[in-house]
Amino acid sequence: MSKEKGRLTGEHFMLGDHACAEGAILAGCRFFAGYPITPATEIAERMSVRLPQVDGKYVQMEDELASMNAILGASWAGVKSMTATSGPGFSLMMENLGLGIMLETPCVLVNVQRGGPSTGLPTLVGQQDMMQAKWGSHGDYEIIALSPGSPQELFDLTIRAFNLSEKYRTPVLVMTDAEVGHMTEKVVIPPPEEIEILNRPQIYKGDVEPDHFRIYRESPDGDPGYVSPMVKAGEGYRIHVTGLTHDERGYPAMNAEANEWNVSRLMEKITANLDDIIELETDKLRNAEVVVVSYGISARTSLWPIEQARKEGIKVGYLRLITVWPFPEDTISKLATKVGAFVVPEINMGQITREVERCAAGNAQVFGVHKPGGDILDPGDVLDTIRKAAAVTQKN
Amino acid sequence: MSAEAMERSERLRIMNYDTPAESDWETGLHPMDDLLRGERLPHIWCQGCGLGTALTSFISSLKWLEKNQGWDLDKVAVVSGIGCTGRIAGYLRLDSFHTTHGRAIPFATGLKIANPELKVIVISGDGDIAGIGGNHLIHAARRNLGITVICVNNFNYGMTGGQVGPTTPHEARAVTAQYGNYEFPFNLPYLAAASGASFVARWTVLHARQLDWTLRKALIHSGFSFVEIIAPCSTAYARWNPEGKGLDPENLRRRGLEVMKHYQKVGKTEQGIHPKDAHVKVNSSGEVIEIVEGEFLDETRPDFKEAIDQRATTAEKFWLSEKNALDKRKKLPPKKGKVPRTEIQLGGFGGQGIMSAAKIIGMAASIYNNLEACFTQSYGPEARGGAAGSQVVISSTPIHHPHLTQPTSMIMMSQGAYEKYVADLSPGGVLLIDDELVDLPAEHREDIKTFGIPATKIAQDAGNNRAANTAMLGFWTAVEGIVDKEAMQESIAESVPPKTVSINLDVFESGYKRGLDLVKK
Ligand code: SF4
Repeated sequence: MSKEKGRLTGEHFMLGDHACAEGAILAGCRFFAGYPITPATEIAERMSVRLPQVDGKYVQMEDELASMNAILGASWAGVKSMTATSGPGFSLMMENLGLGIMLETPCVLVNVQRGGPSTGLPTLVGQQDMMQAKWGSHGDYEIIALSPGSPQELFDLTIRAFNLSEKYRTPVLVMTDAEVGHMTEKVVIPPPEEIEILNRPQIYKGDVEPDHFRIYRESPDGDPGYVSPMVKAGEGYRIHVTGLTHDERGYPAMNAEANEWNVSRLMEKITANLDDIIELETDKLRNAEVVVVSYGISARTSLWPIEQARKEGIKVGYLRLITVWPFPEDTISKLATKVGAFVVPEINMGQITREVERCAAGNAQVFGVHKPGGDILDPGDVLDTIRKAAAVTQKN
Repeated sequence: MSAEAMERSERLRIMNYDTPAESDWETGLHPMDDLLRGERLPHIWCQGCGLGTALTSFISSLKWLEKNQGWDLDKVAVVSGIGCTGRIAGYLRLDSFHTTHGRAIPFATGLKIANPELKVIVISGDGDIAGIGGNHLIHAARRNLGITVICVNNFNYGMTGGQVGPTTPHEARAVTAQYGNYEFPFNLPYLAAASGASFVARWTVLHARQLDWTLRKALIHSGFSFVEIIAPCSTAYARWNPEGKGLDPENLRRRGLEVMKHYQKVGKTEQGIHPKDAHVKVNSSGEVIEIVEGEFLDETRPDFKEAIDQRATTAEKFWLSEKNALDKRKKLPPKKGKVPRTEIQLGGFGGQGIMSAAKIIGMAASIYNNLEACFTQSYGPEARGGAAGSQVVISSTPIHHPHLTQPTSMIMMSQGAYEKYVADLSPGGVLLIDDELVDLPAEHREDIKTFGIPATKIAQDAGNNRAANTAMLGFWTAVEGIVDKEAMQESIAESVPPKTVSINLDVFESGYKRGLDLVKK
């Protein structure tokens, strides 16, 4: 019975936001701290109902600053934790997202994006926080961000976000949007046995001589992608962690060398593991003249115009960024030498388009399909841009 | 203070204060060495600063609790924010977390709730706790979260050089208040108590013995305990204010000492008084002329963890009902034949169940008929009052575009919704209306098929006004035939409140029959 407790294995006709919460529960999340904000509120609502059913804890915090901090605290108590928000709350979380990264704290932050800037369009879709996801907190760091296109995928990627955050000891972002969060579709919750769940590398009481213990170990064999095991509070190691630049012991170290050591390890544990972290969906890239690069809801709504364009005889490839950050630089650079043009549909004024341009480095033309928030993209606009890109390619 | 609390306080008071063991003198070890990270010393604090005393007091309280109450100090976690006091965490050989400015309390909230076994203590300064982190203080107090917050108040922002802050006395001087502070400070014990803290006290660092005793009690306390420690900032605050002014700027130790003497002069112990009366009084030149000290509040109330745990049984009931519904679910054969992309628009006014009707269709299609189905609803101002709208797309193949591009089927249950949506219906499409709620105008479209039933009346006659949407669903099922009847029935049974299942199914049946009759005609 106890193993069964809280399980809802089966097929559901479920809201995207609720699917996110279910993914978190299955991934082992047992602490949620959040603040109501449209269109992410239903994640908090569902967590407040579900967590007490699985011996987890839900706390509605006083604001998003507190929410982000509380999930860091819970993670250091050894519990998988998550928060969910949208634009304005995402901005408030940036400060302590940085703390999470600096302390190397596994946790998941979901952004159900709405139209911005500022209060913007609370109930309507946007993909305008993609660059904020990459650069939003101050200082140099690497971030992992995933982008789902349906409630089922929001469920799946929330689990993957937890796994990546545990494996790499870092906060992971799920960058979904109002469209997916507020959409209801079939969501299959598999039995937990069928899901791969990763847990943080961890040291427990008695595993290591406390005197020899280092909270931020370097790899014993020089692997730059090494992730130091974590120790939770209460294990007797008397750990210290700080948002200040620190050394292996977690102690403040106020100099340039220490900063370099510190920042490199935060970045390299991601950049040395790109093959594991980056997940892409591709279709018909071979011999493509034009490749549509997109993510989340915009990738999904591009599928119909892609079908149309193919019917018109245009060789269109499809590359969906399931992992948006880190960006698949190599893939795009290599493709740029083979294809004529990229088309990048996104609900913003051109954020990932810039990344594609940067990686294409002039080897292929890049056409954005852009509009600010409020509605999903018009398939006609995407189709027209594909045609335009194809025309340019054929001329060259 | 309650009689019980007074008694406890007295018991603690007569217990001997720990003196260092002989052996410590012999080894040359400081009796507090085991709780300090020696490798991190010397600390960064100025000479004459009160933080050393505050730290000593905290450590001796912990040692006392270890010895006399069997505390396992491995289970103690200290969280600090930013500032001079914020550095305390880093000097303690305990699990210690140096977080961001103002955010120690929410970090501690996560630690404590996720692992209630931990004794979680926040030590930070007045700027951190009451300025940038003030919101977190009042909310943690309101929850009666089982942590201890020790706020060292030095009346200014010391680390950044002595700027005015939320506790700087009125008319006192600071780098950013050189003409005198024109704001008024918080009374921290009053703030904490008013917010819901169940243990509240204040001492200056001069009253180290009393502070030790109070800290022990605060640490044992099961709810939210708040202790303000007033401490000299020899470098910054004392430089600007009468307490330390005119002294040799190089001699910080002397300055700190003068402030301590001042505390001796102005400190006034008043145990158990209302926190509102726990003043820090100043004269017209900003000089502190009275500091009321003592334990002001010690109440026993259920703490946050208890409050959460009490809900576990209800939570289990919720889960079981959801799980039972899943387990009971019938497996129906998938829909025969291909369903092309079908876009359905539903419209009405709030309260008619326009959303649930759409969801029922979607669930019937996706869960019971194994079709693809995507249900979206109109949010935003138009969804409040006025016309409510919801949309469903059904298809045998994946639905790439979740919105309606050209609805083929419409269910309209109000005049407003009819007017808003009817123009979108594709030529040849089907419009179903509650014909008592929608008056078709003379210029009603002739290129669509329109059918009406008095859905609201049917529901009323069956004894449930709110089932009008179900009548429309029956009607729609019969007319359109996109989703199997049994799938719809199962979806309704699963979606409506258990007590209304049979009435809803009856109403569905009436709507269905009328639909069949109309189609035959
Ligand atoms: S600036 Fe003031 S509070 Fe900070 S260490 Fe120096 S004396 Fe203490």
